[in-house]
Amino acid sequence: MSSKASIQKAVLACAALAVLASCGNESSDQGDSPFVIAAKTASGAIASRRASADNAPAKPPKTPAEMAAEALRVNPNPLIMAGFESLGRSQVMAMTDRNGGMRTYMTPSEEALIMRDGMLVGTRGLGNDLSVAEPATAALIRAGRSGSAPRVMRYFSGDGLERPLSFDCDVGPGPKAGVIVENCRGHGVSFQNSFMVQGGQIPVSRQWIGPSLGYVTIQTLRP
Amino acid sequence: MRGSRLTSRLMATTLPVAFLVGSVTGTAIAEPMQARNMTTFGMPGGIDTPTAEALPDGTLGATLSYSEYARRHNVVFQAMPRLTAVLRYSRVEGIEDRRNNNDHLWDRSFDLRIQLLDEAGWRPAVAVGLQDFVGTGIYSGEYIVATKNITPTVRASAGIGWGRIAGETRWPLERGDQGGKPNVDDWFTGSAKPFGSITWQVNDRLSLAAEYSSDNYKNEVEGVGGDEPGNLNLAAYYRFGQGYEVGLYTLGGETFGAQFSFSLNPRKAPYPSGLEKAPAPVRPRPAPAADPEGWSGQWAQDPTAQPAIQQALSDALAKEGQLLESMALSGNRAEVRIRNQRYIQQAEAVGRTARLMTRALPPSVETLVITSSADGIPTSSVTLRRSDVERLENTEASKVASAAALTDARPYPGDLVTTDGMFPRFRWHIGPYLDLGLFDPGEPLRYEVGAEARATYEIMPGLILAGTLRQRAFGSMDQRGPSKGRDPDNPNKPREHYPPEEYEARPELETLNGVPRVRSDTRMYRSDGPTIPELTVAWYARPTDTVYTRVTAGLLERAYGGVSAEALWKPVNSPLAFGAEINRVRKRDFDDVFGFRDYEVTTGHVSAYYEFAQGYTAQLDVGQYLAGDRGATITLTREFANGWRIGAFATKTDLSEDEFGEGSFDKGISISIPISWATGQPSRQRASSTLRALSRDGGSRVNVNGRLYDKVRDSHSVKLYEGWGRFWR
Repeated sequence: MSSKASIQKAVLACAALAVLASCGNESSDQGDSPFVIAAKTASGAIASRRASADNAPAKPPKTPAEMAAEALRVNPNPLIMAGFESLGRSQVMAMTDRNGGMRTYMTPSEEALIMRDGMLVGTRGLGNDLSVAEPATAALIRAGRSGSAPRVMRYFSGDGLERPLSFDCDVGPGPKAGVIVENCRGHGVSFQNSFMVQGGQIPVSRQWIGPSLGYVTIQTLRP
Repeated sequence: MRGSRLTSRLMATTLPVAFLVGSVTGTAIAEPMQARNMTTFGMPGGIDTPTAEALPDGTLGATLSYSEYARRHNVVFQAMPRLTAVLRYSRVEGIEDRRNNNDHLWDRSFDLRIQLLDEAGWRPAVAVGLQDFVGTGIYSGEYIVATKNITPTVRASAGIGWGRIAGETRWPLERGDQGGKPNVDDWFTGSAKPFGSITWQVNDRLSLAAEYSSDNYKNEVEGVGGDEPGNLNLAAYYRFGQGYEVGLYTLGGETFGAQFSFSLNPRKAPYPSGLEKAPAPVRPRPAPAADPEGWSGQWAQDPTAQPAIQQALSDALAKEGQLLESMALSGNRAEVRIRNQRYIQQAEAVGRTARLMTRALPPSVETLVITSSADGIPTSSVTLRRSDVERLENTEASKVASAAALTDARPYPGDLVTTDGMFPRFRWHIGPYLDLGLFDPGEPLRYEVGAEARATYEIMPGLILAGTLRQRAFGSMDQRGPSKGRDPDNPNKPREHYPPEEYEARPELETLNGVPRVRSDTRMYRSDGPTIPELTVAWYARPTDTVYTRVTAGLLERAYGGVSAEALWKPVNSPLAFGAEINRVRKRDFDDVFGFRDYEVTTGHVSAYYEFAQGYTAQLDVGQYLAGDRGATITLTREFANGWRIGAFATKTDLSEDEFGEGSFDKGISISIPISWATGQPSRQRASSTLRALSRDGGSRVNVNGRLYDKVRDSHSVKLYEGWGRFWR
């Protein structure tokens, strides 16, 4: 009956707090009133802002090189370093699984990049994710050949549907030796992906995720 | 066949990238002309006068406008690409409200506008509109208007108006008219007068407007005093942030006003894909040579295999907000029953469960069956081949949809084994609550704040005890009897309310014009002591593949207790459903939480539900309502794949307009916005509200929790496929 006693204790403690906060063992989807949710969201936002303000001076961020060195030491899996230009941060991501040529890399906070033979084909957990990319240019890029091919990229629109955007892309050698560039246009935007190709592998690349997230630079730390 | 339906549902039109970026260059082709600013009546337009513009499809917005003559609270909804609707609650100054002893009038009104023609070449966009067409008539008027872009930044509109728009008033209503119904006889009658406006978009933020209006605010000026405003109005609007706008305007230079607008577009979520953690990826099976034992299926003979696998899968699913209620496992097939507690789209729950199954199950299991459970009743099964899940991971979502089979779930448990420790299941919650009351003419916004404790005890899947206890702390919703109504000898005397003691002491007051008071004395239930809004036992079941049932008994809601029984026929792949409900209820005592009053009634409905394409749904209920009146309710709702839901309903029963009273018949709108849309965090929580024109006694139903249709539909074909884009999410 200790569980009953502990529930009783929790209920009593809760009752005292009830005016200010809420508690219980219901999962969050069981429904607070909208006003409580709004208050929680607001206080959460304030708290996170405060937390980041508090943390910022106390803990200087590690440089990408330090992060890479540490990850290589503690994590035996394949690793990449991803630099998100619009988010202004670089992260080491470790491979969690592979399915054929597709690899899923994740951060400890469970954001993910999905790569297929060096081409970025999806992101998860970033808020404006690339649902799936179908780059018909992949073969040209890995072979280092020039040519044109389409590229379809699918996103979640705000109304909750997965919608395709298709682009026309030209592949060719870039200004630097060993770098292949892919220039794509469509829907009123254009973007340029760059790939360093070595023996059919792509150790370093800069690829466009989508209109909101912009470019990510991906560097292989351990293949 | 299913393929083509899927295609239409999943392969939505290709969007200009601007839509995803959220830029404002709204020049999409074949869309009605898009609004620049909002009028004081909450419609796209000039200042007071309308234009032929529309808002982006699905936009929900609000405009608060304030001047010497009126304070208007407008809610606007672009219900369809060419249909704009406004619900307005206005404080009209200078008009005496004798019933409520006010020198101003609180008035509800409703507008519709239809965009008939788009701008093309020399042809302007054309719209026709009805203003205040079911209200008391204070703003009643009609118009036809044309709008044309003169230059990219200058837009001109001209039109003809009737009624209020031509400066003629149709107020007050004739004696005995209860208002609230379409005043068709008045439409487009009286003299027609012109109006027009010019707007200039100075830059991205600032726009200026000038208009010629024939509305001279005759009634208001008589009451407020001063001169009638001229016909020329001027305004400046400034836009900022995500969809906010402030405006300053003058009506004829005589009167100045200010307004504030904001709009939400369901298509413009802050985090369109959501911020939920990335799913665990598929784990492909090892080659048969690498795991001959796993591939042989021999492991299935081991009695310890299933409990261990089930526990591991249950733990993994729990991290995804999914309850593994039960599981069946054989050498080549696994079925799981999951209760989705996190994702607004069932497809996302199914997709994540499928991936976790590839990580937990031995390689010989090829058939994966994922059965969705709605609080204990199985509602649908998605059957997938494991090799398809492996092959199609992270591809276009429609591919795996074509490879999956959606069927009615088996109603009986069969070989399913309940997960250890799942039932009985006790949940509780203590927290604050806030109740709002709107549209009371004496005090338009009333509230009550207090503490609430809620608990549910699920004895076995489908059998649930639920209770809520509330204690009010403070607020402005005191216990009060219903309104005394108009004194027939002295109609101008202000309206009063019965004191609670008098109302309880005189049972004859509980009927009005022969109609029992079933809702109009709701305020009697606002007592200072603890209240029990709900204390029920509910039993959900599924007697056949396509029929669901519910029996609920106890204190169903604050005002009624009794028994409610319901049955629903809804095959998983059918857009059509039928339901029947019967309730025997008794009115609860106002103060004694377990006591009852004398009024007892049987209510019941037969219902038909239909899910149209593009997220439109319709519901028709025919039957007997709480006051013993008989009639029908029609509900039309628009739903988006992200969970937004906006609907309107109307009920007409055999009560005459006089018996029903003000408003003539019951009607209202409901809005429900998922919290996840605003925060990006995955959650099934919603912010919902139903606004009724008036709370009257006709056309009222018992508010019993857990009605079946919405419970089972999330995992049925229309909604499941609508959200299927989130399968690999």
